Amino acid sequence: MAWLKASPLQERASLFPGPETGLTRSPFDSNGLPPQPSNANGLAPLSNDIAIRLTCNSTGIMAQLNRSTSTRQQELPQDIAAVNHIAISPHTEGSADSTPHAASIQAAIEHAAHLLPSQGPIRIFIHHNTLHAFEDEPFEDAVVHARDVYGCNPYIPENEYRKKYASGRIRLDDITSVLKEDLGERADESIAGVCTRLELRAGMLQYPLRTGTDPELRWLIAETDALSRFSTDAPTEIKEKMIEETRHWVMRDFAPRSEHSGQRSASRHGLSEGLVAIIHQLGGGKIESWSETKWESLTLHLLWQCCRSGVHGIERFQPRETTSLRLREPLRQASGIDIDQLLNDNLIPFCAAFLDQGISHWPLPNRNQGFFRAYIELYRNSPPIDPWRAELPSILDRINESGETPLQVIEASLRELGVPESQWDAYLTETLLCLRGWAGMLWQMETNAEWTVAPAPPGTLLEYAAIRLLLERIAIQWVLREVLKDDGDLKTARKRVLHHLRHDPKVSVEQRSFTVFQLAQFLGFTPELLAGLSKDQWTELVREIEAFSDLERRRIFQQAFERRYRNQTLDAIITHNREPAPPLPPPRIQISCCLDDREESFRRHLEEIAPDCETFGVAGFYGVAMYYRGAADAHFVPLCPVVIKPQHYVREEVVYPLETSSRIRQETRKALGRTRHWLHTGSRSILGGAMTALLGTVASLPLVMRVLFPRLTSRTHRLFTSLIRPPMMTRLHLERREPAPGKENGHLGFTLDEMVTIGRRVLEDIGLTRNFAPLVILIGHGSSTQNNPHESAYDCGACGGNRGGPNSRALASILNDPRVRHRLAENGLTIPWETVFVGAYHNTCDDSVTYADLHQLPFSHREHFEYAREIIDEARRRNAHERCRRFVSAPLSITEEAALRHVEARSEDISQVRPELGHATNAVGIVGRRSRTRNLFMDRRAFLTSYDPTQDTPEGDILERILSAAVPVCAGINLEYYFSFVDSAGYGCGSKLPHNITSLLGVMDGAASDLRPGLPWQMVEIHEPLRVLFVVETTPEMLTKILNRNAVLRRLIENRWVQMSVLDPDSPEIQVYQGGAFHPYQPESSEIPEVARSQDWYRGWRDHLGYARITPKETVPTQAQAMESAGVS
Amino acid sequence: MNVDQLFQLLGTVTVVVPVLLFTTIGLPMLGGTPWGEKMTARWTQVAVLTGLGACLGVLSLMLMYQRYDVPIEFGHWFALPREHTHFHLSFVFDRLSVPFAILTYVLVGVIGAFASRYLHREPGYHRFFLLHSMFLMGMVLATVAGTIETLFLGWELIGLSSALLVAFFHERTAPVINGQRIWSVYRVADAAFLVGALLMHHWKGQGDFEVLVDHIAWPVGHAIITPNQALVAGLLFLIAAAGKSALIPFSGWLPRAMEGPTPSSAIFYGALSVHLGTFLLLRISPLLDLSFLLSACVFLLGAATAIFAGMTARVQTDVKSAIAYASLTQVGLITAEIGLGFRYLALAHIIGHACLRTLQLVRAPNLLNDYHTLENAIGARLPRRPGLIERSISPQMQLNLYRFALERGYLDAGIRNWLVRPFLGFFKWCDSMEAKWTRLLSMSPHTHSESTPHSEWEEVK
Repeated sequence: MAWLKASPLQERASLFPGPETGLTRSPFDSNGLPPQPSNANGLAPLSNDIAIRLTCNSTGIMAQLNRSTSTRQQELPQDIAAVNHIAISPHTEGSADSTPHAASIQAAIEHAAHLLPSQGPIRIFIHHNTLHAFEDEPFEDAVVHARDVYGCNPYIPENEYRKKYASGRIRLDDITSVLKEDLGERADESIAGVCTRLELRAGMLQYPLRTGTDPELRWLIAETDALSRFSTDAPTEIKEKMIEETRHWVMRDFAPRSEHSGQRSASRHGLSEGLVAIIHQLGGGKIESWSETKWESLTLHLLWQCCRSGVHGIERFQPRETTSLRLREPLRQASGIDIDQLLNDNLIPFCAAFLDQGISHWPLPNRNQGFFRAYIELYRNSPPIDPWRAELPSILDRINESGETPLQVIEASLRELGVPESQWDAYLTETLLCLRGWAGMLWQMETNAEWTVAPAPPGTLLEYAAIRLLLERIAIQWVLREVLKDDGDLKTARKRVLHHLRHDPKVSVEQRSFTVFQLAQFLGFTPELLAGLSKDQWTELVREIEAFSDLERRRIFQQAFERRYRNQTLDAIITHNREPAPPLPPPRIQISCCLDDREESFRRHLEEIAPDCETFGVAGFYGVAMYYRGAADAHFVPLCPVVIKPQHYVREEVVYPLETSSRIRQETRKALGRTRHWLHTGSRSILGGAMTALLGTVASLPLVMRVLFPRLTSRTHRLFTSLIRPPMMTRLHLERREPAPGKENGHLGFTLDEMVTIGRRVLEDIGLTRNFAPLVILIGHGSSTQNNPHESAYDCGACGGNRGGPNSRALASILNDPRVRHRLAENGLTIPWETVFVGAYHNTCDDSVTYADLHQLPFSHREHFEYAREIIDEARRRNAHERCRRFVSAPLSITEEAALRHVEARSEDISQVRPELGHATNAVGIVGRRSRTRNLFMDRRAFLTSYDPTQDTPEGDILERILSAAVPVCAGINLEYYFSFVDSAGYGCGSKLPHNITSLLGVMDGAASDLRPGLPWQMVEIHEPLRVLFVVETTPEMLTKILNRNAVLRRLIENRWVQMSVLDPDSPEIQVYQGGAFHPYQPESSEIPEVARSQDWYRGWRDHLGYARITPKETVPTQAQAMESAGVS
Repeated sequence: MNVDQLFQLLGTVTVVVPVLLFTTIGLPMLGGTPWGEKMTARWTQVAVLTGLGACLGVLSLMLMYQRYDVPIEFGHWFALPREHTHFHLSFVFDRLSVPFAILTYVLVGVIGAFASRYLHREPGYHRFFLLHSMFLMGMVLATVAGTIETLFLGWELIGLSSALLVAFFHERTAPVINGQRIWSVYRVADAAFLVGALLMHHWKGQGDFEVLVDHIAWPVGHAIITPNQALVAGLLFLIAAAGKSALIPFSGWLPRAMEGPTPSSAIFYGALSVHLGTFLLLRISPLLDLSFLLSACVFLLGAATAIFAGMTARVQTDVKSAIAYASLTQVGLITAEIGLGFRYLALAHIIGHACLRTLQLVRAPNLLNDYHTLENAIGARLPRRPGLIERSISPQMQLNLYRFALERGYLDAGIRNWLVRPFLGFFKWCDSMEAKWTRLLSMSPHTHSESTPHSEWEEVK
């Protein structure tokens, strides 16, 4: 993990070239080398444009950014575009006319807002692409572009890729074929006559190039065996060849002559004096009889000398130009004072107070007047204690009296700071990105949080920008005047400050020559070859090496890594499909789960245990988009994907006979709740606190119990709460009488027509329109964890970060309804009367499964149900066991029973920061019939969506609606994990350990930091950053048709945010989408390990596993089957 | 084995076990081969259980034999008879130290168990447990210390481990800055403590509490120094206590201390460390009896802190700061109780409060869930009304009070402005004078002491 902590700085160097960044720059950057003009490689036309702008002026990034956001808006789906419009609020619009630049400032704020993290209140965690704002750029450009904006890593560090290379997770042929594809015709061009570009780049990827500071390198050369032994990474044959050729060369061209003092040919290369010195240094004597080691040393000495003289005098290529427009960094270097630190100390508590949803007992005064007014009112009369803010009260007073609007304040600040109008946009963006977590939350609360306790009024972000700029102006003024004793004009301060700062170091000869020196050893550039190069050729060589920068190498590595996993996956699927699957008995149980990758293993185990069990995968809200309120809940919560806004309200109600007892329990709950709340708030006050504290010794009991015996404690707790929980017998208020849906009685639920539509749609989606089993179990899922602010991130993504139990229950009720069945049958979808649907809920953390409405189960189906429960219980045990292989704290030798206990304890343990591993390792999305992947071990890495191409319309309507839900959802999850992994500190929220819940909206590190969106390291720790690979069972033509219709899908796929391939419905052939078209995939291998059961494959192994085929040799009957077969016979 | 020997044995075990634990964890780390995660946790567990057992043993013996003041001697380390000064290592088990030691063992043990899972796979796991054991060692030494020097030893260990744990995530800047901030406040407290201890030595030739309390078991006993001496020493100890317990004006560091991992925040700033100042006041309580003025100071400081923290706690918007200030409120109250002379009440208050806050802090990340559960139970949004004080004052006063609380009483800014700046200014002045002198004496133009970025700037100009 160490590298991850260091890495953010490494990348951040690009944005803020400061003194500390010099220490941590990545190897190649420390050469002072330009990173490859990263935007310029193999891109769509738009981005070539960017590259040019980038090199032209320093504001290019921002300018381009704004442009791209504005073009994006036209393409956005309606709902998102709608959100964008809210920003122009009535509140600020009125004042917009008062300044001529109002509109442009407002537009700038909106543009900037798109770059802010779009995570809303953490209570409902919705996975989304961290770089959603960049989606209309190709992935490789977007990550670099985002690096320039946020200063975050685009890929994992190079040495991590090298580890994967060393362990065979990336192979040489992956690297070369990716390089070939990347370079195209440029691959075979010769570089300075020493090798081809492909060879050079492959070599640079294959072997680690080390570098250091100049003194380090000088020490290395002088004091280590760098000049006497070849690098240990150098291949032996190259080493031998180089020594041999050098010996030959020296003997031929130098040795005889130097002995006879005829030095003509030697002086041509300026080598002779050096050579003589080296020969003497190595002991002199008769060089013909020299030992091999002496020759090795001589070779290296010569090589080093060639390299040094070769790179000498080559100028620096394209200096990096990404200077910040803000004065913060120059001022920090000049004065040692970080103005952002000053500002943040004031703004973080204020933002938190402004947004607070209920942690503080005393809400911010004047909050309802908006950010700007509240700030002014609060600080207008403040006595100046912090010297830098001494002027603030008088300035605020002036604003208050003159009635300036936030827009006017922004404009005044920009003018006073001397920002030219052309840069306002960029400057505002940079300003908002300073504290991007908080700014993002302000924006979210302003635009997207009407359901919270206290949403922010419109215009909040703009008002925040006004205050922030005002403070910035004051702080800069103060630093200039008081610390730097500079009384000049603020507008021209930038020039004065910059003038005195140190300039970027010159390019280092040591570093350049050492790089070539190493490469020569790996690729076999002999001293003779290098000595013969002209200056132009040397320039070409160095330029070429430096063009393949750290960033470029990581890009290629990433693609090679993805290629390996893609080929493994496709090979496995093809091989698996080549042999006909063994015939299966007609299904006795059908089980449908969410398409979640965590259900892959669960389904696999179910099928392994019972060949007569058929499983399906579907988006876990089961088509029932609703606001739901449970019998013991206070509020309605939306249970559906975020892109859908539910129209219907459903409540769970206690059955009529139990209503009285329910009411008593409810009153008890209420009384207990009030007491607890009183204790909670009281413990923070003076007198109440004294009372609770005096009795506090009692608290040691739950403390000790909870920490030492989590499972026992939670059982006791559950036993106790079961007395006050609503009675078990409840039902959903599903059916509506009134025409209009709403929250009130009579308006709750769906009409019969709506129910029919929902039922029909889900069954068609998963292709379950015939061959119904007598019992169909629909399982929703969620996760219960303790002490975990990110709890919602483990819940069902298709239910908008909530628990999907009510959805499966609702669908089961709908499909059991005879009227619905009747109507379905009229339309040709006949569900046999013998088939019964049961809703269930799978807790993916403790692997429990609970069933709904069992009291309605017909007597005829008891036996089926008991059979199903046996299978499910066995599958739970096996699933828990498979999951435990990933938990280091569970021994590898754990039994299935113990594994189940282990995961149960995890979910109830308050000290557990990894209650489950969530979607970590997700990498594949499969859309197709289960029969194509049944019995394929996919290591819990695949989203499995059921789809039957044989039942689709000729236009692919069903596939389109499946893909338009599944692809964005899976890509959102996948990319959020990708970015939270590649830069845990920048895109993710770092380690969970110091997290601190703030304003009930998010987490901070410690007591005052920026708000931290993204996933914590503990969640993504074992993830592998791979873009999700979709395998869709359809024809290329069909998919192309759909892509032409659907812009959202097209954007994700064409810009390579997801990888797409199609599996032919009738044959095991796969075509991969690349460069705008589908290309047939040639399998690399046709072997796949075969095992009798999953456990035989994963047992004893904690790391990632490849694919395997599960062929139950002789089905060992489980307890369930044994009982069953006994019962039948 | 007679009772004395048994006391001696159990007392020794209580004191020695944490030291053994510290070396057991520390030495292999020094050699670069730390124990595995499980073994580290196991050692901690064994040590805590042994120490706790010994402590409970002492307690039951004390109850059985009605002996409330059991000294354990570790011998004289040096003595200067002519100067009437000596130093000896001794521990005392009495009605103050035994409950405190038991509390320490229980909480440290629980947090150890908690952390062994919470910090699983964290690169700093071993560092955490090393500091955790150092903290345990410091806590035990300080609580059962029989002389002021021993107390100081434990006091220092606690300070060091606290500061290092705050800066636990040292790859980020904020924790390091805050760790250093805490360290500097602790140094001020330490300086006051040390001067106080020196004065006591000066007056009595030794720092044993026994002499201070005239060989009578805590909390009775009277000091055998003059009231004025008591006032001077007592005020110094009060400054020390204020620094350690984050009383006014040092309160600013308490929320900053929440940078470390949750378990360490819980045990340090919710539970044990923050009460150490009050423990010191309890330990020297005979001094308070001597001087009414001193008692009044203690009471006033405590009451002021309680009011200030109570108000500040109301506006905190993050759960850890809210708990920190809530905790401080009670620490202020406890201090006030000590000032009023309620020793037992204060002791009970400390113990109850420490347990409660540990539980609250350890469960702090569960806040969202708790609020959700409460909302569901009540069936509505949680009521959030302004308090009595807020409602009964004028809007302008409300604003002023709110701002005062949000800015945490401007304590940090005040200290920076009125203490640190003049202090630094003075030393900068000394520095420049020194440079001038050196230049004058050496006749060379370029003799600079360490140059700050600031002076560099001036040079360039």
